[in-house]
Amino acid sequence: MRWIRKWHKWVSVIVGIQVVLWLVSGLYFNLMDHTKAAGLTYFSQSKVSNPLDATMWVEPKAVLEQHRDSVALDTVFLLGKPFYLLSHQQGLYAHSYHQYTLVDGYSGEVVTLDAKWISKLAQASYTGGGKVAKLTLLTPPISAFPKQQNPTWQVNFADDIGTEVYVEAQSGRIVGHSDEHKKLADIFFMLHFMDYNNQGSFNNVPMMLMAFFSLWLTMTGCYWCIDLLRKGKLSRKRRNRLKTSAIKWS
Amino acid sequence: MHKTARKLHQWLMLFLGLQFAIWSVTGAYMVYMDIDFIHGDDLVTDPQAKVQPAQMHYSLQQLTHAYPKINNISVDTLLGETVYRLTLAESESPNKVVISAQSGQVLTPLSELTAVSIAQSFYTGNGEVAEVTLITDNPPFELNPRHLPAWRINFDDFGAPSLYVSAQTGILVGKRHEFWRWFDWMFRFHIMDYSSGEDIDNALLFWVALLASFGALTGMVLVYFRVFKGLFMRRKKSRAQGVGVA
Repeated sequence: MRWIRKWHKWVSVIVGIQVVLWLVSGLYFNLMDHTKAAGLTYFSQSKVSNPLDATMWVEPKAVLEQHRDSVALDTVFLLGKPFYLLSHQQGLYAHSYHQYTLVDGYSGEVVTLDAKWISKLAQASYTGGGKVAKLTLLTPPISAFPKQQNPTWQVNFADDIGTEVYVEAQSGRIVGHSDEHKKLADIFFMLHFMDYNNQGSFNNVPMMLMAFFSLWLTMTGCYWCIDLLRKGKLSRKRRNRLKTSAIKWS
Repeated sequence: MHKTARKLHQWLMLFLGLQFAIWSVTGAYMVYMDIDFIHGDDLVTDPQAKVQPAQMHYSLQQLTHAYPKINNISVDTLLGETVYRLTLAESESPNKVVISAQSGQVLTPLSELTAVSIAQSFYTGNGEVAEVTLITDNPPFELNPRHLPAWRINFDDFGAPSLYVSAQTGILVGKRHEFWRWFDWMFRFHIMDYSSGEDIDNALLFWVALLASFGALTGMVLVYFRVFKGLFMRRKKSRAQGVGVA
């Protein structure tokens, strides 16, 4: 029993502060507004699926033959305009590394999304009242979306919560929104996951070490609890015994 | 202060100790298991099979003649064959169709045999197919209902992997194994959601976490008294002694 107490004491010195941080951040997740925390305050949910007028489109075969090998071709509408999106390399997830070519669906010409396009795409996904203040082309890693592995535009809006819209450069896909609320939530996620390198993951070495020590903390604590119960030292009536044990512990 | 903290810590932990044990065990599982492994990324290959435009004898014009209400067209490959995948207007049923780009033949809904072949072409393990089921309603928790109807192909392998292939599109829509299923349970216990498994904002978690915070803070008070205060005292004492000797 002496060793259990010693372990409990010294392990709590190592993990104590992190345990408090885990609990406080956990409480925050419990109470937070999930829409705000996900950066969706001014996110436009509307998804319109336009029926396409196939007589206008270039033959997919011709488009595929004109470009280097593709894994897939998809029809996409950006701001209501028709495009073929060629994927030369495809990832398992949307955020995985991709190589795209965007082709005008009616003329077959290659289109590169310029700042004007990106700005309009960002505005279409935005419901707030702010105007576009700044555009920056970022290469991964992107701090607001650490998993995103493709070049992405950051479009800053001048509004009350500093909304940033992230648009994938090659495809025009909206990666997501970020703002003050999301940044606050991200701080709590960083604390809870001990993700101090912003990898967007909890599989990191400091976390594994703390998990190991916190296992020791709770196991020794539970054992101690059971021991106290068994010996009846938790009973309020036995004040004397508590006192003597207090002397023994300190 | 010391005594109050000790009493509070003891009594709070008497009731919360079990949840602390659950948090640390479930948390440790989630931390030690690589999340990409949990997602089953290792279960499937990434073939990057290229579309063969030379095979495309069935034209867009023929396609739209057969299906006048198309919302979306994709061209990619299904078991090496170049195919069109169509998403039709919502009014159409079924509203997803896969068509051979070579012959124009409709390939969906998938037969059991084709679904199994697709699953095998993705699967990286060595296990044999153990069980094949077509799921049309009441999907298991591990499959998103929007992917229905889907074929579930179970493999006789380490971790009892299941691959899900959409019967309507032939796309791989799920890859699960026991480690994911355990992870899911661990997460439910971690956030104390004993109903749906997705609600982190439940009242039980709030009260337990709030009391647990007090429990942990009183623990920190004890750390101060038992460890750090003792260290300061000893240092003071030894300094005092040092002065005495000098």
